Amino acid sequence: MSAPVTIRPSSDAAVVKGGPTRSESLTSLMPVLALVSLVIALAAAKPGFLSQPSMTAVVDAAAPLAVLAAGATIAVLCGGIDLSIAALASLSSVLLAMWLPTLGGLASVAVVGVAAAAGALQGAAHVFLRIPSFIVTLGGMSLFSSIALVISGAAPVPVIDDGPIRWGFTRIFDVVPSAAVVAVVVVAVLALLIKATPLGSWITATGYSEPAARLAGIPVDPLKIGAFCVSGACAGLAGVLLVARTFSGGPTMADSLLLPAVAAIVVGGTAITGGHGGLWRTLVGALVVTLLRVGLSVVGVSAAYESILYGALIVAAVALTLDRSKVMVVK
Amino acid sequence: MSAEGVVAQRSPSVVLEVRGLVKAYPGVTALDGVDLEVRQNEVLGLAGENGAGKSTLLKTLVGLVRPDAGEIYVRGQRVRLRNVVDAANHGIGMVFQEQSLVPNLTAAENIVLGCEGPAIRRGVYRWATMRALAQEQLDKIGSTIDPLARTDSLTFAERQMVEIAKVLRIEQRTHNSPVIILDEPTSVLEPSEIETLFEQVRRLREFASVIFVSHRLDEVLDVCDRVYVLRGGQSVGEVRPADAVAGDLHRMMIGSESHEDHYHGSAVTRDETPRERLTVRGLAGAAFRDVDLDVHAGEIVAVVGVHGSGREELCKALFGAVATTAGEVTLDGERLDLTGPRAACAAGVGYVPAERKVEGMVGPMSVADNMTLAKQRVGCAGPVIVPKRQNDIVDKWISRLSIRTPGRRTAIQRLSGGNQQKVILARWLVGGDVRLLLLDHPTRGLDVGARSEVYRLMRELAGTGVATLLLADSLEEAIGMADRVVVMSDGRIVAEVPCPPDRKPSPLDLVKEMV
Repeated sequence: MSAPVTIRPSSDAAVVKGGPTRSESLTSLMPVLALVSLVIALAAAKPGFLSQPSMTAVVDAAAPLAVLAAGATIAVLCGGIDLSIAALASLSSVLLAMWLPTLGGLASVAVVGVAAAAGALQGAAHVFLRIPSFIVTLGGMSLFSSIALVISGAAPVPVIDDGPIRWGFTRIFDVVPSAAVVAVVVVAVLALLIKATPLGSWITATGYSEPAARLAGIPVDPLKIGAFCVSGACAGLAGVLLVARTFSGGPTMADSLLLPAVAAIVVGGTAITGGHGGLWRTLVGALVVTLLRVGLSVVGVSAAYESILYGALIVAAVALTLDRSKVMVVK
Repeated sequence: MSAEGVVAQRSPSVVLEVRGLVKAYPGVTALDGVDLEVRQNEVLGLAGENGAGKSTLLKTLVGLVRPDAGEIYVRGQRVRLRNVVDAANHGIGMVFQEQSLVPNLTAAENIVLGCEGPAIRRGVYRWATMRALAQEQLDKIGSTIDPLARTDSLTFAERQMVEIAKVLRIEQRTHNSPVIILDEPTSVLEPSEIETLFEQVRRLREFASVIFVSHRLDEVLDVCDRVYVLRGGQSVGEVRPADAVAGDLHRMMIGSESHEDHYHGSAVTRDETPRERLTVRGLAGAAFRDVDLDVHAGEIVAVVGVHGSGREELCKALFGAVATTAGEVTLDGERLDLTGPRAACAAGVGYVPAERKVEGMVGPMSVADNMTLAKQRVGCAGPVIVPKRQNDIVDKWISRLSIRTPGRRTAIQRLSGGNQQKVILARWLVGGDVRLLLLDHPTRGLDVGARSEVYRLMRELAGTGVATLLLADSLEEAIGMADRVVVMSDGRIVAEVPCPPDRKPSPLDLVKEMV
């Protein structure tokens, strides 16, 4: 099968223009533009904002969110959604607080492992029982929340000796929060995995068109289970980071992060319908979401209004990024 | 066009007139000043290659696309069509290529849907009235379909009839005879169904005007009174079927000499001794059983059969995409694993699906990604992609197959149908390990030029020893391309007809076996 195949030139329709259109490239730059304008606006509103301590605080606050959202991004890219991440992170924080006294440094590894398994289990239910991931993870969210409440006795579990997890909340060179480094490493590793191996086009193809991906021989089922597994593992890691900064695990500790995490994904420009997007975008999205929250307090808005912001942000970001001309019916 | 619009507009026989229609999309001018005239009680054909502007023109006529410039006149009156309802109010309706019926409703509900009239009183359905209304519509076209049958229990051809009956409801909105647009109505019909459809079109002509679009030029010439030829978004001429043959139309469509037809016999030279490549013994699945089939290396075997003959399912089953219940399949003497597409890919089986846009390509992904989707090892060192190596391979195949694309990073959905199909074919070639190609309607929806390129490519591949199983778009295509034709009926293989270049059977020989 190496003989050359020669075909006469095509008489086919005219060659079309290549590359992304102007509006496409503008849309893909939007998250970064939003980030830059937010920084400028905040710096103008509060001159001290650009100082090192305040920047460190912002980056530190964004880290658990970024880790949480990064994992879920993979599930979204595959065309699914993982709504259980925040509940799973809460459960992970409880488990970590309970296991630290006995397992020590291994507790973090064990927690991430358990969370990954929980994610994989949801993925398997989604794939093999053919249930929409939205429903599976909605059920998972409720399940994990409940388990966390039961095993913690519905109260925060304090951490007495935080030695084994101090790596999650220190300052490197007194400036860089270690949690931020963890977030960047997670994003970089996942992004590299996707970029450098065929996994990237497998995920993209599955997200855009699962039937086509299947017929091209892509292992769609293992891929999706893997995506939810990664999503679960990231939720577990986010739980570890939260315990490291609060010295306790709480059954509802991360619950309020679900909306910001979804917001971070869509604000970053990852299409909620799957296929299009990326991990670095989610990192940018997490920073935007965090800055907006900081911005609210700078201008003196009560934290009670935060959810309005996230809700509006998600709808607006999807409205801007979703190419509705290609989606015939929006369900 | 010497006659200026004024004259034509006043002519009472002209029901629909289009003047200087222009529609441009980014990078492409779909319509470039189209003129068109539809007269009372005629069947008007539209012919043109892919990208000639046919679909855009039709969509403009039913208000789905708004033109950038130009005018549309209905019975001499200028109209602006903003949506399908507008068009219906002016008596223009379209039978959509991808059917627009709701599958879980009855035929009657579908027929009155959106235009219920007396079938609804005080917001409540009156079933008897609805049924009577639907029956009236079905009677108009002489159909015997039960109005209470659920739409998803009907065959494709029957659903098309329901759709025509539904479109004719626009007569209720206008007191004039309607204009019915049939967009590629025959593309998924079997020969006998096509004949029924043609009778229907001739019946429609009695009380309506019809615009008929098809890729098959013989059909256009058969059923139409006049044919407009579109090329590059312009009407380049008008043909009367009485004094034209398909070759004339070809020439006008492509603007040069007619393409070499596929029906010229196999030009493949191959080994003297045929080598068994694919053997199928006693294969059974939900839609087929007792299938025995051999394909030699370098041989093209076409499977023909009517809808429901099980040939599509057989083709998918050989790729592992449809479950089998019994049987043995070997490829070059080794057992072929039919558990899924992945196993088939690994074994060197390639599959080009019929639904190119849904099952074949991933539209927003690049040409390069689509091409390497199935053979990800290509251009990899271990699990890691080596971009330069992969790009070289992709570029090589782009130039070998003359794929017309601005570059390997262009989204495949921006290419024309023929070039998209070449990328899908290349997907199985980049690995260099393809032994069996399953081609499910590889030329569906392609224009004449692109089709003959796919034919040539198929022959070249056969020449290198690839075994090909072809589900052809038409009997002529099957006979022209294949070395052997296998006829399937009711899930079984009922006949096998040798098809050597010098002794080709006629389509009639095959039809006898099919029914």
